[in-house]
Amino acid sequence: MGCSLATSLVARIKEIKRTVNPDYLFIEPSEMVLTQEMLDATRMGLRDVFYEIGPFITLIDGPAFPETWEERRPLLMGQIHKADLVAVSRADLVSGDAFSQILGALDGVPHSILGLSAEKGQGLEEVMRLLA
Amino acid sequence: MKLVSISGTNGSGKTTLTRELISRLWKEGKQSAVIVNEDGTIDYEPEFIQDKDLWVTYLRGG
Repeated sequence: MGCSLATSLVARIKEIKRTVNPDYLFIEPSEMVLTQEMLDATRMGLRDVFYEIGPFITLIDGPAFPETWEERRPLLMGQIHKADLVAVSRADLVSGDAFSQILGALDGVPHSILGLSAEKGQGLEEVMRLLA
Repeated sequence: MKLVSISGTNGSGKTTLTRELISRLWKEGKQSAVIVNEDGTIDYEPEFIQDKDLWVTYLRGG
């Protein structure tokens, strides 16, 4: 995340805080943004206004995991690092064996990995508890 | 205001999860806003925005 982009993001956060002040502000960053970059950028805004940072959630596309792990591992690990929750999305489309392979590949990651399916409602209560 | 970031590669379900959480929070009486990068392919349609009193803004390249 470049400096100008981080500045634009912070400006947008501060604008929302001052004008809307919702209970929750969700950010969907570009797929190339790492979690540490998001943390650094969002912390900048605290110099001006107060808001609570986190949780930061990283989604791993379950069915696409083999290709992502093979081709984009640094990106994936950069998004996992510093995340508060790591979840395998579209988990309903992943077999038990494939899910075990994902857990095995991420064995060194200091997170529990949540299976998530918005379609089936799987894992959503856990995410809601994290947001509370 | 609590800031929630949902990261992932394209197609990983960021918008799908965000929408689901916004809906559930709305049922609990909580208002949400969302900053979404302009690469996002799933829009927040006007009916959803109006129904959930949602504030949506787009960030180029973000």
